[in-house]
Amino acid sequence: MKLDFAFIWTAFLQLLTAVPTALAITAVSVFCGLLIGTAVAVIRLYKVPILHPIAASYVTFIRGTPMLTHLLLIYFGLPILVDAIAEAFGLSFRSVSIPMIGFAYVSFSITAGAYMSEVVRSGLLAVNRGQIEAAYAIGMTTSQAMRRIVLPQAFAASLPNLSNSVIGMLHGSTLAFTVSVVEINAKAQIVATTNWKFFEAYLAAAIIFWAITFMIERLTALAEKRFNLYNRGGVS
Amino acid sequence: MAKVGEPFDISYVFEYLVKLLPTLKITLLIVVSSIVIGLGVGFIVALPQLYKIPVLRRFSQVYLSFFRGTPVLIQLFLFYYGLPEILKLVHVDVVKVPALYFVILTYALHSGAYMAEMIRAAVGAVDRGQVEAAYAVGMTGFQAFTRIVLPQAMAISVPVFANLVIANLKDTSLAFSLGIMELTGKSQTLAVMSRHFVETYISLAIIYFMISFGLEKLFHLIERKLLKHESRIVSEEKETRVKKAKTRRFAVGLGFTRGGRENEA
Repeated sequence: MKLDFAFIWTAFLQLLTAVPTALAITAVSVFCGLLIGTAVAVIRLYKVPILHPIAASYVTFIRGTPMLTHLLLIYFGLPILVDAIAEAFGLSFRSVSIPMIGFAYVSFSITAGAYMSEVVRSGLLAVNRGQIEAAYAIGMTTSQAMRRIVLPQAFAASLPNLSNSVIGMLHGSTLAFTVSVVEINAKAQIVATTNWKFFEAYLAAAIIFWAITFMIERLTALAEKRFNLYNRGGVS
Repeated sequence: MAKVGEPFDISYVFEYLVKLLPTLKITLLIVVSSIVIGLGVGFIVALPQLYKIPVLRRFSQVYLSFFRGTPVLIQLFLFYYGLPEILKLVHVDVVKVPALYFVILTYALHSGAYMAEMIRAAVGAVDRGQVEAAYAVGMTGFQAFTRIVLPQAMAISVPVFANLVIANLKDTSLAFSLGIMELTGKSQTLAVMSRHFVETYISLAIIYFMISFGLEKLFHLIERKLLKHESRIVSEEKETRVKKAKTRRFAVGLGFTRGGRENEA
């Protein structure tokens, strides 16, 4: 066997066309996951009655099952739910018109929500309560204290975890091939089978993921430097 | 995958649960063997970093970066298709080797990278002064390691190890893509045959959940056992201190009614 370097390059170029799909899945799931995660984290921190146990079991269940099962459950379960609701309310919308990538968005957002809630929670807990009291003492309202004092610090504290979750979701986006979304892994499969060169195609895919992950890590390091500026320590 | 399924019937969930259970042993086989091999790999990869061996250290860095920087699914395909071709160069024929071995190898190398990080962090967390104290009372280097450093490092790394095992369990669901008949693979054939997709995947999720829940409880128990050396008074004090710190940090200030939640939790 000889490694076909020329083909790795062609595969690489072809795989690049699938990168936007993978990034879109990552971005949507991370964004929606952050929204869900923040809501869940706030519910759990304030111990909101009724919602609190629901949020807790949501997080435990999602974190205890593979991402793939979430995707499969959503892919087969959501259409039944949507059609039932549409029928009950006499809407013309049917599940058939949901694009395949929509299932990936919904399911990965639910997955990311559970993991993000832990990220947000630990970030909020990292801010000393005394700071909020100090904010109240100089006359800030709760929302002001949150916006100006707590959130900037919580964000800085949770950046490393956040970057790990983003990388996790990026790597998780490879699962979307099970619902026939053509992301990097599916594209690699297509490129490999049409040319019968599997090793080269997956090597190219691995290089792409490695590069994106590396970039995310670099960006996080830069952001961390910027957001931790206030936290210099020492006396000056 | 055609999506026209039978109407939803909750009673099938239990039936499929029973049907899926026999394949649990393949899943567990992958998890256990890859964790055991992964621990060995992790040690080998962590050593150059712990002792700062010049060239080898670079290699282990690249290893870590690669296995943590690419999805495990890509790694699976890469090894499944790549390894036979590479081994052909040295005239070793592995064409007849079942896919299961490639799966185990991939997961072992994958979790090995995370194990290395875990080992590095745990060994670094044991105070160096303790090793010196061990030397001072006349222990040899080996004795100091097995009697002083190892027990403490193990206790420290149990929570991380638990997370890695559970993550590994969840990752094994991808082995179906190479045709392995573990839990997920079996559930897919079951679903396609019976056309009760949702019910099958609910029972699949229940099995995964029960195992990871059980593992979590088990490791919690082990951790408490390993931390016994921290005498009871200290650990109790520590617990209340942690609890206090938690409430002090948050419970009060951000209440909907400003302050005044001091007595909670």
